[in-house]
Amino acid sequence: MSEVTSESASTTETAEAPVRTVPAAPPARHTGRLAGPLNALAPHAKIGMVVGGVLSIVGAYLAWSTFVLNEGAYPERATLTMFVEPFGVTGFRLHITLLGLATIVVALLRVPAKHRIVRGLGVGVTAVAVLNGLWITVEGGGLGAITASDGTVAFGSIVALVGGLVTVLSATAGGLEDKPVWEWKLAWWVEWILLLVVFVLILLLVAEVLTSGGQGGVVNPYAGVVFLSLLAALAGAFAALNASGLLTWVGEVSERHRVFSVVVLLLCALALPFTGAGTEYWMTVASNIGVYAATAIGLNIVVGLAGLLDLGYVAFLGIGAFVAANLSGAAASVIGIHVPFLLVMVISAVVAGIFGAIVGSPTLRVRGDYLAIVTLAFGEIFVRSAQNNIAGLTGGANAIPNIPQVALGSFQFNQSISLGPIQLPGGVMYYVAIVLLVAAVMLVFGNLKNSRLGRAWIAIREDEDAAAAMGIRTGPIKILAFLIGAMLAGFAGAFFAHKTAVVAYDSFRFLESVTLLAAVILGGMGTIPGAVLGASILFVLPEKLREFADYRLLLFGLALVLIMRFRPQGIIADKHRKAELAEDPEDAAKEAPGALPTEVK
Amino acid sequence: MSESVEQPELEAPPGEVTAELAEDMQIATGTREPILESAGVSMVFGGLRALNEVTFSLKEGEIIGLIGPNGAGKTTFFNCLTGLYTPTSGSVTLRGAPMPQDPARVTEAGVARTFQNIRLFPSMTATENVLVGRHVRMKQGPVSSLLHGPRFRRSEAEAHDRAEKLLAFVGLTRFADELARNLPYGDQRRLEIARALATDPSVLLLDEPTAGMNAQETEATRQLIFAIRDLGVSVVVIEHDTKFIFTLCDRVLVLVQGELLVEGSPDEVRGDPRVVEAYLGAPPDEVEAQIHAGEES
Repeated sequence: MSEVTSESASTTETAEAPVRTVPAAPPARHTGRLAGPLNALAPHAKIGMVVGGVLSIVGAYLAWSTFVLNEGAYPERATLTMFVEPFGVTGFRLHITLLGLATIVVALLRVPAKHRIVRGLGVGVTAVAVLNGLWITVEGGGLGAITASDGTVAFGSIVALVGGLVTVLSATAGGLEDKPVWEWKLAWWVEWILLLVVFVLILLLVAEVLTSGGQGGVVNPYAGVVFLSLLAALAGAFAALNASGLLTWVGEVSERHRVFSVVVLLLCALALPFTGAGTEYWMTVASNIGVYAATAIGLNIVVGLAGLLDLGYVAFLGIGAFVAANLSGAAASVIGIHVPFLLVMVISAVVAGIFGAIVGSPTLRVRGDYLAIVTLAFGEIFVRSAQNNIAGLTGGANAIPNIPQVALGSFQFNQSISLGPIQLPGGVMYYVAIVLLVAAVMLVFGNLKNSRLGRAWIAIREDEDAAAAMGIRTGPIKILAFLIGAMLAGFAGAFFAHKTAVVAYDSFRFLESVTLLAAVILGGMGTIPGAVLGASILFVLPEKLREFADYRLLLFGLALVLIMRFRPQGIIADKHRKAELAEDPEDAAKEAPGALPTEVK
Repeated sequence: MSESVEQPELEAPPGEVTAELAEDMQIATGTREPILESAGVSMVFGGLRALNEVTFSLKEGEIIGLIGPNGAGKTTFFNCLTGLYTPTSGSVTLRGAPMPQDPARVTEAGVARTFQNIRLFPSMTATENVLVGRHVRMKQGPVSSLLHGPRFRRSEAEAHDRAEKLLAFVGLTRFADELARNLPYGDQRRLEIARALATDPSVLLLDEPTAGMNAQETEATRQLIFAIRDLGVSVVVIEHDTKFIFTLCDRVLVLVQGELLVEGSPDEVRGDPRVVEAYLGAPPDEVEAQIHAGEES
């Protein structure tokens, strides 16, 4: 992307308009590598955007593949056979059509930040075209698969790609504006309805994303690409919405109705079994995501708030799980007593917390990299001990199998439930329980963050010596971070043991710690939605991309490198972090809410 | 920050804010008794004697200036007073009780400090920085932090109220929600003072509070320090700007090569030939001897 000079992007204050800052379109004088073509294109930006949109849609309706793929959800839509059912436009074709239509509409209307919105849409089209084109090429064995071969032609992906690129280039040439800031205030009940609609949409979207492409692996070899393609389209739409400033505005509205938002979000999360994701398989996937999300939030206390790098954190999940397994009455446990589940959760958390405090105690002496190595060693000690069946508590290579289900009276949590005409799938109770657990963990994190203790953690992260000079006893406070973080993982571990019914040492290896850490960093350090989003992405992807299982770590590493390069603050940034990592403080001031008052500049 | 900053009104804190704060902090006892004392404090780093038998006494409500050439041991002395260093020999006492050897406990006991190179929490807002300063005076256990009950909310409200007053006191109300790192330099120094005052100190140690400030900002800082004294806080100031020190302090200490060279009123110190020599150097024939004697300074 070339840079756009934006010195005249001055904020024009208009008192009566609902928009606080309508960014005036900057004069399109481009500098940088693509300056020549961009400046030449600038006067025709509008036409370019429309052409790009049209090309995208045309591309979507051409054939994408010169060969007929095997049976399954993907091929019907992707090959020549699509026109057997001309109105059956689904999957990536639907996404590109929608993005293309939006491009044309926005390009023709007078919309604030038009070019930036269109660029987002164009990036979405481009990404979808590239992903599907690549996949077809690889599957069909060469470029012939997306061009012409054996008398059939299939230029769909190429035309869509060109359309996407034309859109992006024209939008950039037209000059990217600043994000507008909306200041609408509606009646409270209108805002409530709006939030309700938005949250229900989010719920449906989550269900759609979760189930898109179906279960991965041998059952459905297309799951991965269908899922990724949906993600790409969503990313484009998200970028466009964000550029329009509407996302920020909805965020502000939900901030105004905090309690309402939290309650509705919780209800929406509980309503997931009623959507397309309401099958036993997806309930299991969602529950697993929940376990890791809760653990990631715990890790976020240690890493995100207190700034202590913990590379062996998954051990606490393991300790919680093994404690629960041993107290579950499973035949393989040496203790062999059965303790009620709620009590087991507490015991698991306490034991994990004690280990957390032990692991945290070196923080009194070692800092930074050295602490990371200590925690890494602890993680290894835990895995090796568990592998060697230490004191007969972990079952070694045999694991601890057949852990009984959590039961409420005679009802076991893995049974399905009938609510009148609606049949809820098995495992739904586990899902409900994990949603409540994650909600509780979020509450713990949020409340601690906004307290004396949370501020002390952040102060230690920022400058430990200065924190000590402010009267913060850094030693105990750091150990407390480890203790609380470990307790949250312990809770999740107890749940994990009962949910999966088997606890084996190899669920808690170094790789899992790294994945959790990556989830926290990817999602956004120090934020709750960030940790949940990160955990969701990193634990859903392997589920969808089973055919790429061999390359999992490679792709994973690549994704992390890209994220660190282009969005180091994570997908959902903490407003503080964002400012910290912004290269130009003025950019940060522009982006951060409650930014620097203009008169100071 | 660009240089085209329109200078905000820099003036002494409004009287009513000072009065309210003084009532909240309840520091002044009006006794004029010695509050912070050191007796024969020495500090040795390896072979370097950074401090040699420094003895001083700060009375309540007093402003003491600590001057001396670079490397004279001023900051080392501050670090000994605040528990960052444990003196090799000698003792530090606060109201007659030995000073704890741990920065956090020193702050708890009522001695707060600022740093020579500003050490704010850069990614926290101005208000949050001051709230961290309240840490030591707030009563919130882990459990109440978790549950956010009525007691918690009251203590948060009190802390926020105090933070607001302190920001008004140092004149940073307009930056309350701004990240510390985005503040102009001089305002960062003022924020550091507000943060230190949030710990309800009876003694405030300021390490070069006017470094890098222009004349106008320096004057505002002088007014601010007088206002801090009016709160009942006793102040020790390290500074290079002798003019600033001589117009601010009740008493001035001159530290040269770890030794307390002169102590007295600004007028006495200003006229002392030894001070002139320490700052401007000895007559030429003595310079050579000096170079050999004190290269580390």
